[in-house]
Amino acid sequence: MQKRISIIEDEPFIIEALSFLLEREGFAVSSISDGADALAFITTTPPDLLILDIMLPNVSGMKILEDIRKTSGIEKLPVLMLTAKGQKKDRLAAEQAGVSLFMTKPFSNTELIANVHEMLQG
Amino acid sequence: MAGALLGTRIRENRKALQLSQKDLAQAAGLSASYLNLIEHNKRGIAGKTLNAIARALQIDPTDLTEGMNQALLDRVRTAAMRNNQLRTERDRIEEFAARFPGFARLIARQSDQIEVRDEQFAILSDQLKHDPYFAEAMHLLLSNITTIRATSDILATNSDMPPAMSQKFIANLAAEAAKLSKTAEDIFDHFEPTAEEHVSSLDMSAFEVLLEQNRYYLETLENGDQSVDDILNNLKLSDDDIDATRASLHSYAEMAQHLPIEPFIATAKKVNFDAIALAETFSTDLMAICFRLAHLPTKPDLPTFGLIQSDASGAVLYRKQLNSFSLPRYGGACPLWPVYRSLSQPLQPIRAMLDMPMGDRFHTISFAYPTQAARIGMPAVTEAIMLFTPDYAMLPRVAHDQTPQLDVGLQCTVCSRMDCSARREAYLLTNK
Repeated sequence: MQKRISIIEDEPFIIEALSFLLEREGFAVSSISDGADALAFITTTPPDLLILDIMLPNVSGMKILEDIRKTSGIEKLPVLMLTAKGQKKDRLAAEQAGVSLFMTKPFSNTELIANVHEMLQG
Repeated sequence: MAGALLGTRIRENRKALQLSQKDLAQAAGLSASYLNLIEHNKRGIAGKTLNAIARALQIDPTDLTEGMNQALLDRVRTAAMRNNQLRTERDRIEEFAARFPGFARLIARQSDQIEVRDEQFAILSDQLKHDPYFAEAMHLLLSNITTIRATSDILATNSDMPPAMSQKFIANLAAEAAKLSKTAEDIFDHFEPTAEEHVSSLDMSAFEVLLEQNRYYLETLENGDQSVDDILNNLKLSDDDIDATRASLHSYAEMAQHLPIEPFIATAKKVNFDAIALAETFSTDLMAICFRLAHLPTKPDLPTFGLIQSDASGAVLYRKQLNSFSLPRYGGACPLWPVYRSLSQPLQPIRAMLDMPMGDRFHTISFAYPTQAARIGMPAVTEAIMLFTPDYAMLPRVAHDQTPQLDVGLQCTVCSRMDCSARREAYLLTNK
Protein backbone atom coordinates (compact mmCIF):
# COMPACT_ATOMS: atom_id res chain seq x y z
CA MET A 1 0.00 0.00 0.00
CA GLN A 2 1.25 3.47 -0.94
CA LYS A 3 2.54 5.40 2.08
CA ARG A 4 1.29 8.95 2.62
CA ILE A 5 3.53 11.86 3.53
CA SER A 6 2.25 15.32 4.45
CA ILE A 7 4.34 18.47 4.25
CA ILE A 8 3.66 21.65 6.23
CA GLU A 9 5.99 24.29 4.79
CA ASP A 10 5.46 27.90 3.77
CA GLU A 11 7.99 28.09 0.92
CA PRO A 12 6.18 26.94 -2.26
CA PHE A 13 9.35 26.03 -4.16
CA ILE A 14 10.56 23.86 -1.29
CA ILE A 15 7.17 22.11 -1.32
CA GLU A 16 7.55 21.51 -5.06
CA ALA A 17 11.04 20.11 -4.67
CA LEU A 18 10.06 17.89 -1.73
CA SER A 19 6.93 16.67 -3.52
CA PHE A 20 8.94 15.72 -6.62
CA LEU A 21 11.55 13.86 -4.57
CA LEU A 22 9.00 11.96 -2.48
CA GLU A 23 6.64 11.12 -5.35
CA ARG A 24 9.61 9.80 -7.32
CA GLU A 25 10.13 7.40 -4.40
CA GLY A 26 6.53 6.22 -4.69
CA PHE A 27 4.93 8.14 -1.83
CA ALA A 28 1.58 9.96 -1.97
CA VAL A 29 2.31 13.56 -1.00
CA SER A 30 0.00 16.31 0.27
CA SER A 31 0.91 19.74 1.58
CA ILE A 32 -0.30 22.97 3.19
CA SER A 33 1.54 26.18 3.99
CA ASP A 34 -0.45 27.75 6.84
CA GLY A 35 0.12 26.61 10.42
CA ALA A 36 -3.45 27.48 11.39
CA ASP A 37 -4.84 24.69 9.19
CA ALA A 38 -2.30 22.10 10.30
CA LEU A 39 -4.16 20.09 12.91
CA ALA A 40 -7.36 19.78 10.86
CA PHE A 41 -5.24 18.83 7.83
CA ILE A 42 -3.49 16.04 9.71
CA THR A 43 -6.45 14.67 11.65
CA THR A 44 -8.76 14.50 8.59
CA THR A 45 -6.48 12.07 6.78
CA PRO A 46 -3.60 11.12 9.04
CA PRO A 47 -0.42 10.57 7.01
CA ASP A 48 2.23 7.94 7.71
CA LEU A 49 4.83 10.67 8.18
CA LEU A 50 4.79 14.43 8.54
CA ILE A 51 7.50 16.82 7.33
CA LEU A 52 7.14 20.00 9.37
CA ASP A 53 8.79 23.43 9.21
CA ILE A 54 9.08 25.54 12.40
CA MET A 55 8.53 29.02 10.98
CA LEU A 56 5.00 29.00 9.61
CA PRO A 57 2.32 31.65 9.23
CA ASN A 58 -0.06 31.96 12.18
CA VAL A 59 0.91 28.89 14.24
CA SER A 60 4.51 27.77 14.68
CA GLY A 61 5.66 24.27 13.84
CA MET A 62 6.74 23.79 17.45
CA LYS A 63 3.19 24.44 18.67
CA ILE A 64 1.78 22.11 15.98
CA LEU A 65 4.14 19.37 17.15
CA GLU A 66 3.06 19.84 20.77
CA ASP A 67 -0.59 19.65 19.72
CA ILE A 68 0.01 16.49 17.69
CA ARG A 69 1.55 14.77 20.71
CA LYS A 70 -1.51 15.70 22.79
CA THR A 71 -4.12 14.66 20.20
CA SER A 72 -5.56 11.18 20.42
CA GLY A 73 -5.13 9.16 17.23
CA ILE A 74 -2.12 11.08 15.88
CA GLU A 75 -0.01 11.32 19.01
CA LYS A 76 2.50 8.77 17.67
CA LEU A 77 2.76 10.21 14.16
CA PRO A 78 6.41 10.23 12.98
CA VAL A 79 7.40 13.90 12.56
CA LEU A 80 10.48 14.99 10.65
CA MET A 81 11.19 18.61 11.48
CA LEU A 82 12.95 20.37 8.61
CA THR A 83 14.00 23.86 9.58
CA ALA A 84 16.44 26.70 9.05
CA LYS A 85 16.43 27.16 12.83
CA GLY A 86 19.25 24.77 13.53
CA GLN A 87 20.62 26.14 16.79
CA LYS A 88 21.14 23.81 19.71
CA LYS A 89 18.27 25.38 21.64
CA ASP A 90 15.89 24.82 18.70
CA ARG A 91 16.89 21.19 18.50
CA LEU A 92 16.42 20.76 22.27
CA ALA A 93 13.01 22.46 22.14
CA ALA A 94 11.96 20.15 19.29
CA GLU A 95 13.15 17.12 21.22
CA GLN A 96 11.22 18.27 24.29
CA ALA A 97 8.13 18.69 22.14
CA GLY A 98 8.51 15.11 20.86
CA VAL A 99 10.11 15.37 17.40
CA SER A 100 11.06 12.05 15.75
CA LEU A 101 13.89 13.48 13.64
CA PHE A 102 15.35 16.99 13.39
CA MET A 103 17.02 18.07 10.13
CA THR A 104 18.34 21.49 9.28
CA LYS A 105 18.08 23.45 6.04
CA PRO A 106 19.78 23.42 3.61
CA PHE A 107 19.47 19.63 3.39
CA SER A 108 20.86 16.99 1.08
CA ASN A 109 18.12 15.38 -1.04
CA THR A 110 19.77 11.97 -0.70
CA GLU A 111 19.98 12.24 3.08
CA LEU A 112 16.40 13.41 3.37
CA ILE A 113 15.05 10.51 1.30
CA ALA A 114 17.18 8.01 3.23
CA ASN A 115 15.82 9.37 6.52
CA VAL A 116 12.23 9.21 5.31
CA HIS A 117 12.64 5.55 4.29
CA GLU A 118 14.25 4.72 7.62
CA MET A 119 11.51 6.45 9.63
CA LEU A 120 8.77 4.64 7.74
CA GLN A 121 10.46 1.29 8.24
CA GLY A 122 10.75 1.87 11.98
CA MET B 1 66.39 56.76 40.02
CA ALA B 2 65.03 59.36 37.64
CA GLY B 3 68.47 61.01 37.39
CA ALA B 4 70.12 57.68 36.76
CA LEU B 5 67.77 57.01 33.90
CA LEU B 6 68.37 60.41 32.40
CA GLY B 7 72.13 59.91 32.38
CA THR B 8 71.78 56.48 30.85
CA ARG B 9 69.53 57.89 28.16
CA ILE B 10 72.02 60.63 27.27
CA ARG B 11 74.78 58.06 26.98
CA GLU B 12 72.66 55.78 24.74
CA ASN B 13 71.72 58.66 22.45
CA ARG B 14 75.32 59.82 22.19
CA LYS B 15 76.47 56.34 21.25
CA ALA B 16 73.72 56.07 18.68
CA LEU B 17 75.15 59.19 17.01
CA GLN B 18 78.68 57.74 17.32
CA LEU B 19 79.85 60.79 19.22
CA SER B 20 82.57 60.71 21.85
CA GLN B 21 81.98 62.28 25.28
CA LYS B 22 84.39 64.99 24.26
CA ASP B 23 82.44 65.75 21.04
CA LEU B 24 79.12 65.98 22.86
CA ALA B 25 80.52 68.00 25.74
CA GLN B 26 81.97 70.47 23.30
CA ALA B 27 78.72 70.74 21.31
CA ALA B 28 76.73 71.31 24.49
CA GLY B 29 79.20 73.76 25.99
CA LEU B 30 80.17 71.52 28.92
CA SER B 31 83.36 70.04 30.16
CA ALA B 32 83.96 66.40 29.26
CA SER B 33 84.45 65.48 32.92
CA TYR B 34 81.12 67.06 33.89
CA LEU B 35 79.35 65.17 31.06
CA ASN B 36 81.01 61.98 32.29
CA LEU B 37 79.49 62.53 35.75
CA ILE B 38 76.08 63.20 34.20
CA GLU B 39 76.19 60.09 32.01
CA HIS B 40 77.18 57.98 35.01
CA ASN B 41 74.22 59.33 36.91
CA LYS B 42 76.28 61.21 39.44
CA ARG B 43 74.86 64.62 38.61
CA GLY B 44 71.28 65.59 38.02
CA ILE B 45 70.51 68.14 35.31
CA ALA B 46 67.58 70.24 34.14
CA GLY B 47 66.84 73.53 32.37
CA LYS B 48 69.58 75.05 30.24
CA THR B 49 71.99 72.12 30.57
CA LEU B 50 69.34 69.60 29.62
CA ASN B 51 68.26 71.71 26.63
CA ALA B 52 71.88 72.15 25.49
CA ILE B 53 72.55 68.40 25.60
CA ALA B 54 69.27 67.62 23.81
CA ARG B 55 70.08 70.16 21.12
CA ALA B 56 73.51 68.63 20.65
CA LEU B 57 71.92 65.19 20.38
CA GLN B 58 69.37 66.57 17.86
CA ILE B 59 66.42 65.38 19.90
CA ASP B 60 63.59 66.92 21.88
CA PRO B 61 64.40 67.41 25.59
CA THR B 62 61.21 65.48 26.42
CA ASP B 63 62.72 62.42 24.71
CA LEU B 64 65.28 62.48 27.51
CA THR B 65 62.83 63.15 30.32
CA GLU B 66 59.55 61.48 29.31
CA GLY B 67 60.86 57.99 29.72
CA MET B 68 60.72 58.69 33.44
CA ASN B 69 57.04 59.61 33.32
CA GLN B 70 55.40 57.17 35.72
CA ALA B 71 52.12 57.18 33.82
CA LEU B 72 53.95 56.16 30.64
CA LEU B 73 55.80 53.41 32.49
CA ASP B 74 52.50 52.13 33.88
CA ARG B 75 50.91 52.03 30.42
CA VAL B 76 53.86 50.14 28.93
CA ARG B 77 53.77 47.75 31.90
CA THR B 78 50.05 47.19 31.35
CA ALA B 79 50.69 46.47 27.66
CA ALA B 80 53.33 43.93 28.64
CA MET B 81 50.99 42.25 31.13
CA ARG B 82 48.22 41.99 28.53
CA ASN B 83 50.67 39.99 26.41
CA ASN B 84 52.15 37.93 29.17
CA GLN B 85 52.73 34.94 26.92
CA LEU B 86 55.38 36.89 25.00
CA ARG B 87 57.62 36.91 28.08
CA THR B 88 58.41 40.61 27.79
CA GLU B 89 61.27 41.78 29.99
CA ARG B 90 59.03 43.49 32.53
CA ASP B 91 61.89 44.01 34.95
CA ARG B 92 63.60 46.21 32.34
CA ILE B 93 60.67 48.44 31.36
CA GLU B 94 62.20 51.53 32.93
CA GLU B 95 65.45 50.96 31.11
CA PHE B 96 63.57 50.38 27.84
CA ALA B 97 61.49 53.54 28.21
CA ALA B 98 64.62 55.48 29.09
CA ARG B 99 66.49 54.32 26.02
CA PHE B 100 63.58 54.41 23.55
CA PRO B 101 61.00 56.93 24.75
CA GLY B 102 59.39 57.21 21.31
CA PHE B 103 58.85 53.47 21.05
CA ALA B 104 57.55 53.41 24.63
CA ARG B 105 54.95 56.05 23.71
CA LEU B 106 54.04 54.04 20.59
CA ILE B 107 53.52 50.84 22.58
CA ALA B 108 51.46 52.66 25.21
CA ARG B 109 49.27 54.38 22.63
CA GLN B 110 48.68 51.24 20.57
CA SER B 111 47.92 49.21 23.66
CA ASP B 112 45.34 51.80 24.76
CA GLN B 113 43.79 51.80 21.27
CA ILE B 114 43.60 48.01 21.21
CA GLU B 115 41.85 47.98 24.58
CA VAL B 116 39.25 50.53 23.44
CA ARG B 117 38.67 48.67 20.16
CA ASP B 118 38.35 45.34 21.96
CA GLU B 119 35.60 46.82 24.10
CA GLN B 120 33.85 48.32 21.07
CA PHE B 121 34.15 45.04 19.21
CA ALA B 122 32.66 43.10 22.14
CA ILE B 123 29.72 45.51 22.33
CA LEU B 124 29.07 45.45 18.58
CA SER B 125 29.44 41.71 18.42
CA ASP B 126 26.94 41.32 21.22
CA GLN B 127 24.52 43.70 19.54
CA LEU B 128 24.78 41.74 16.30
CA LYS B 129 23.82 38.58 18.17
CA HIS B 130 20.74 40.37 19.45
CA ASP B 131 19.82 41.99 16.13
CA PRO B 132 16.39 40.65 15.14
CA TYR B 133 16.86 41.89 11.57
CA PHE B 134 20.02 39.84 11.23
CA ALA B 135 18.32 36.70 12.60
CA GLU B 136 15.39 37.08 10.22
CA ALA B 137 17.67 37.81 7.26
CA MET B 138 19.79 34.74 7.99
CA HIS B 139 16.65 32.62 8.07
CA LEU B 140 15.59 33.96 4.68
CA LEU B 141 19.03 33.33 3.23
CA LEU B 142 18.92 29.73 4.44
CA SER B 143 15.46 29.28 2.91
CA ASN B 144 16.67 30.67 -0.44
CA ILE B 145 19.74 28.45 -0.38
CA THR B 146 17.68 25.40 0.59
CA THR B 147 15.39 25.82 -2.41
CA ILE B 148 18.30 26.40 -4.78
CA ARG B 149 20.23 23.42 -3.49
CA ALA B 150 17.27 21.00 -3.57
CA THR B 151 16.07 22.19 -6.99
CA SER B 152 19.47 22.22 -8.68
CA ASP B 153 20.17 18.74 -7.30
CA ILE B 154 16.89 17.50 -8.77
CA LEU B 155 17.78 18.98 -12.18
CA ALA B 156 21.30 17.52 -12.05
CA THR B 157 20.23 14.00 -11.13
CA ASN B 158 17.02 13.60 -13.16
CA SER B 159 17.98 14.03 -16.81
CA ASP B 160 14.99 11.92 -17.90
CA MET B 161 12.52 14.41 -16.38
CA PRO B 162 9.66 15.52 -18.70
CA PRO B 163 10.60 18.83 -20.37
CA ALA B 164 7.65 20.71 -18.87
CA MET B 165 8.65 19.69 -15.36
CA SER B 166 12.28 20.48 -16.04
CA GLN B 167 11.28 23.97 -17.29
CA LYS B 168 9.21 24.48 -14.13
CA PHE B 169 12.18 23.68 -11.87
CA ILE B 170 14.48 25.90 -13.93
CA ALA B 171 11.97 28.75 -13.51
CA ASN B 172 11.83 28.07 -9.74
CA LEU B 173 15.61 28.17 -9.64
CA ALA B 174 15.73 31.52 -11.45
CA ALA B 175 13.05 33.02 -9.19
CA GLU B 176 14.78 31.82 -6.04
CA ALA B 177 18.15 33.12 -7.26
CA ALA B 178 16.51 36.52 -7.77
CA LYS B 179 15.10 36.36 -4.21
CA LEU B 180 18.53 35.45 -2.87
CA SER B 181 20.01 38.43 -4.64
CA LYS B 182 17.31 40.72 -3.19
CA THR B 183 17.88 39.38 0.32
CA ALA B 184 21.62 39.97 -0.02
CA GLU B 185 21.00 43.56 -1.21
CA ASP B 186 18.62 44.20 1.72
CA ILE B 187 21.22 42.94 4.17
CA PHE B 188 23.90 45.09 2.56
CA ASP B 189 21.65 48.17 2.78
CA HIS B 190 20.83 47.43 6.41
CA PHE B 191 24.45 47.20 7.46
CA GLU B 192 25.72 50.09 5.39
CA PRO B 193 27.16 52.30 8.10
CA THR B 194 25.87 55.80 8.66
CA ALA B 195 27.02 58.26 11.25
CA GLU B 196 23.74 57.95 13.14
CA GLU B 197 23.89 54.18 13.25
CA HIS B 198 27.45 54.32 14.45
CA VAL B 199 26.44 56.49 17.40
CA SER B 200 23.44 54.40 18.35
CA SER B 201 25.31 51.11 18.09
CA LEU B 202 27.58 52.18 20.89
CA ASP B 203 24.89 53.93 22.85
CA MET B 204 24.74 51.67 25.86
CA SER B 205 25.02 52.97 29.37
CA ALA B 206 28.08 51.99 31.36
CA PHE B 207 25.83 49.99 33.71
CA GLU B 208 24.33 48.05 30.78
CA VAL B 209 27.79 47.26 29.47
CA LEU B 210 28.84 46.07 32.93
CA LEU B 211 25.76 43.85 33.23
CA GLU B 212 26.19 42.37 29.77
CA GLN B 213 29.84 41.64 30.43
CA ASN B 214 28.84 39.85 33.65
CA ARG B 215 25.83 38.05 32.14
CA TYR B 216 23.49 40.12 34.32
CA TYR B 217 24.80 38.74 37.59
CA LEU B 218 27.25 40.85 39.61
CA GLU B 219 28.68 38.10 41.76
CA THR B 220 31.24 40.16 43.65
CA LEU B 221 28.60 42.71 44.61
CA GLU B 222 26.17 39.94 45.61
CA ASN B 223 28.65 38.16 47.88
CA GLY B 224 30.16 41.32 49.36
CA ASP B 225 33.61 40.89 47.84
CA GLN B 226 33.24 44.32 46.26
CA SER B 227 31.30 47.41 47.23
CA VAL B 228 29.57 49.76 44.83
CA ASP B 229 32.56 52.11 45.09
CA ASP B 230 35.03 49.28 44.42
CA ILE B 231 33.22 48.46 41.19
CA LEU B 232 32.95 52.12 40.23
CA ASN B 233 36.68 52.62 40.76
CA ASN B 234 37.48 49.73 38.41
CA LEU B 235 35.24 51.04 35.66
CA LYS B 236 37.24 54.19 34.77
CA LEU B 237 34.07 56.12 33.95
CA SER B 238 33.73 59.65 32.70
CA ASP B 239 32.22 62.18 35.07
CA ASP B 240 29.00 62.07 33.03
CA ASP B 241 28.57 58.34 33.65
CA ILE B 242 29.57 58.05 37.30
CA ASP B 243 26.38 59.30 39.00
CA ALA B 244 23.98 57.26 36.86
CA THR B 245 26.10 54.12 37.22
CA ARG B 246 26.39 54.59 40.99
CA ALA B 247 22.61 54.87 41.31
CA SER B 248 22.07 51.74 39.19
CA LEU B 249 24.63 49.79 41.21
CA HIS B 250 22.97 50.83 44.46
CA SER B 251 19.61 49.60 43.12
CA TYR B 252 21.23 46.29 42.24
CA ALA B 253 22.82 46.05 45.69
CA GLU B 254 19.46 46.74 47.34
CA MET B 255 17.87 43.94 45.32
CA ALA B 256 20.66 41.55 46.33
CA GLN B 257 20.25 42.53 49.98
CA HIS B 258 16.44 42.29 49.90
CA LEU B 259 16.42 38.87 48.19
CA PRO B 260 19.81 37.19 48.87
CA ILE B 261 20.67 34.85 46.05
CA GLU B 262 21.20 31.49 47.76
CA PRO B 263 17.95 31.32 49.79
CA PHE B 264 16.12 32.83 46.83
CA ILE B 265 17.29 30.09 44.43
CA ALA B 266 16.51 27.37 46.99
CA THR B 267 12.95 28.67 47.34
CA ALA B 268 12.56 29.32 43.62
CA LYS B 269 13.42 25.71 42.85
CA LYS B 270 10.68 24.53 45.21
CA VAL B 271 8.04 26.52 43.32
CA ASN B 272 9.52 25.89 39.87
CA PHE B 273 10.53 29.54 39.43
CA ASP B 274 6.94 30.73 39.38
CA ALA B 275 7.15 34.49 39.99
CA ILE B 276 3.68 34.80 41.51
CA ALA B 277 4.28 31.94 43.97
CA LEU B 278 7.62 33.51 44.90
CA ALA B 279 6.01 36.89 45.60
CA GLU B 280 3.61 35.16 47.99
CA THR B 281 6.35 33.11 49.66
CA PHE B 282 8.63 36.10 50.23
CA SER B 283 5.71 38.45 51.01
CA THR B 284 7.09 40.98 48.60
CA ASP B 285 5.89 42.69 45.47
CA LEU B 286 5.94 40.98 42.12
CA MET B 287 8.21 43.61 40.58
CA ALA B 288 11.02 42.82 43.04
CA ILE B 289 10.67 39.11 42.29
CA CYS B 290 10.75 39.72 38.53
CA PHE B 291 13.92 41.79 38.82
CA ARG B 292 15.54 39.11 40.99
CA LEU B 293 14.62 36.36 38.51
CA ALA B 294 16.14 38.40 35.68
CA HIS B 295 19.45 38.58 37.58
CA LEU B 296 20.31 34.98 38.44
CA PRO B 297 23.68 33.34 37.83
CA THR B 298 23.96 31.43 34.54
CA LYS B 299 23.71 27.74 35.41
CA PRO B 300 22.19 24.75 33.61
CA ASP B 301 19.68 24.11 36.40
CA LEU B 302 18.39 27.70 36.38
CA PRO B 303 16.03 29.10 33.73
CA THR B 304 17.09 32.20 31.81
CA PHE B 305 14.81 35.20 32.18
CA GLY B 306 14.70 38.44 30.20
CA LEU B 307 12.91 41.57 31.34
CA ILE B 308 11.59 44.82 29.95
CA GLN B 309 10.41 47.76 32.04
CA SER B 310 8.39 50.39 30.24
CA ASP B 311 6.47 53.51 31.07
CA ALA B 312 3.00 54.25 29.71
CA SER B 313 4.42 55.94 26.61
CA GLY B 314 6.26 52.77 25.66
CA ALA B 315 9.67 54.21 26.51
CA VAL B 316 12.01 51.49 27.71
CA LEU B 317 13.26 52.19 31.24
CA TYR B 318 15.25 49.00 31.71
CA ARG B 319 15.83 45.92 29.63
CA LYS B 320 17.55 42.61 29.77
CA GLN B 321 17.30 41.01 26.38
CA LEU B 322 18.00 37.44 25.38
CA ASN B 323 19.62 36.23 22.17
CA SER B 324 16.26 35.01 20.90
CA PHE B 325 14.23 37.95 22.23
CA SER B 326 15.71 41.34 21.50
CA LEU B 327 14.24 44.49 22.93
CA PRO B 328 14.37 47.82 21.12
CA ARG B 329 15.63 50.65 23.29
CA TYR B 330 13.55 53.44 21.83
CA GLY B 331 10.07 51.98 21.45
CA GLY B 332 9.13 50.33 18.19
CA ALA B 333 8.42 46.97 19.82
CA CYS B 334 5.45 44.79 18.96
CA PRO B 335 2.33 46.52 20.37
CA LEU B 336 0.74 43.12 21.00
CA TRP B 337 3.13 42.32 23.83
CA PRO B 338 1.15 41.86 27.05
CA VAL B 339 3.37 44.36 28.86
CA TYR B 340 1.47 47.14 27.08
CA ARG B 341 -1.93 45.56 27.80
CA SER B 342 -1.04 45.37 31.49
CA LEU B 343 -0.84 49.17 31.61
CA SER B 344 -4.62 49.29 31.23
CA GLN B 345 -5.16 46.98 34.21
CA PRO B 346 -2.61 47.89 36.89
CA LEU B 347 -1.83 45.43 39.68
CA GLN B 348 -3.31 42.50 37.77
CA PRO B 349 -0.55 40.15 36.59
CA ILE B 350 -1.06 38.74 33.08
CA ARG B 351 0.36 35.40 32.05
CA ALA B 352 0.81 34.72 28.33
CA MET B 353 2.74 32.36 26.07
CA LEU B 354 4.22 34.36 23.19
CA ASP B 355 4.62 32.61 19.83
CA MET B 356 7.18 34.41 17.67
CA PRO B 357 7.14 34.28 13.85
CA MET B 358 10.40 32.36 13.85
CA GLY B 359 8.97 29.65 16.08
CA ASP B 360 10.48 30.72 19.41
CA ARG B 361 8.11 30.54 22.39
CA PHE B 362 8.29 32.45 25.66
CA HIS B 363 6.36 32.27 28.88
CA THR B 364 5.68 35.79 30.15
CA ILE B 365 4.30 37.54 33.19
CA SER B 366 3.39 41.19 32.78
CA PHE B 367 2.47 43.54 35.56
CA ALA B 368 1.75 47.27 35.81
CA TYR B 369 2.04 49.34 38.96
CA PRO B 370 1.57 53.00 39.94
CA THR B 371 4.83 54.76 40.71
CA GLN B 372 3.36 57.15 43.27
CA ALA B 373 0.41 57.49 45.62
CA ALA B 374 -2.86 58.71 44.10
CA ARG B 375 -3.28 62.49 44.08
CA ILE B 376 -6.47 64.34 43.29
CA GLY B 377 -6.35 66.11 39.96
CA MET B 378 -3.09 64.46 38.90
CA PRO B 379 -2.90 61.69 36.33
CA ALA B 380 -1.62 58.38 37.66
CA VAL B 381 1.91 57.55 36.53
CA THR B 382 2.13 53.88 35.76
CA GLU B 383 4.99 51.65 34.72
CA ALA B 384 4.96 48.05 33.63
CA ILE B 385 7.35 45.12 33.46
CA MET B 386 7.32 41.92 31.48
CA LEU B 387 9.39 38.95 32.60
CA PHE B 388 9.95 36.35 29.90
CA THR B 389 11.71 33.03 29.52
CA PRO B 390 12.26 30.51 26.74
CA ASP B 391 12.81 27.86 29.45
CA TYR B 392 9.10 27.49 30.15
CA ALA B 393 9.54 23.72 30.50
CA MET B 394 11.21 24.42 33.88
CA LEU B 395 8.18 26.35 35.15
CA PRO B 396 5.13 24.63 36.66
CA ARG B 397 3.14 22.96 33.89
CA VAL B 398 0.07 25.02 34.73
CA ALA B 399 2.10 28.12 33.96
CA HIS B 400 2.36 27.28 30.28
CA ASP B 401 -0.20 24.57 29.53
CA GLN B 402 -3.16 26.69 30.55
CA THR B 403 -1.74 30.05 29.58
CA PRO B 404 -3.27 32.02 26.70
CA GLN B 405 -1.22 31.90 23.52
CA LEU B 406 -0.41 35.11 21.70
CA ASP B 407 0.99 35.36 18.17
CA VAL B 408 3.34 38.32 18.38
CA GLY B 409 6.62 39.54 16.90
CA LEU B 410 9.65 41.57 17.91
CA GLN B 411 9.26 44.65 15.69
CA CYS B 412 7.19 45.22 12.55
CA THR B 413 10.29 45.64 10.38
CA VAL B 414 11.42 42.07 11.06
CA CYS B 415 8.01 40.42 11.54
CA SER B 416 6.73 38.19 8.75
CA ARG B 417 3.09 38.21 9.96
CA MET B 418 2.05 40.20 6.92
CA ASP B 419 -1.66 40.47 7.72
CA CYS B 420 -1.21 41.54 11.36
CA SER B 421 -3.78 44.19 12.27
CA ALA B 422 -1.26 45.91 14.56
CA ARG B 423 1.30 46.44 11.78
CA ARG B 424 2.50 50.06 11.56
CA GLU B 425 5.71 49.65 9.55
CA ALA B 426 6.57 47.61 6.48
CA TYR B 427 8.46 44.36 6.69
CA LEU B 428 12.00 45.20 5.58
CA LEU B 429 12.86 41.85 4.06
CA THR B 430 10.57 42.22 1.07
CA ASN B 431 11.74 38.94 -0.43
CA LYS B 432 9.32 36.87 1.71
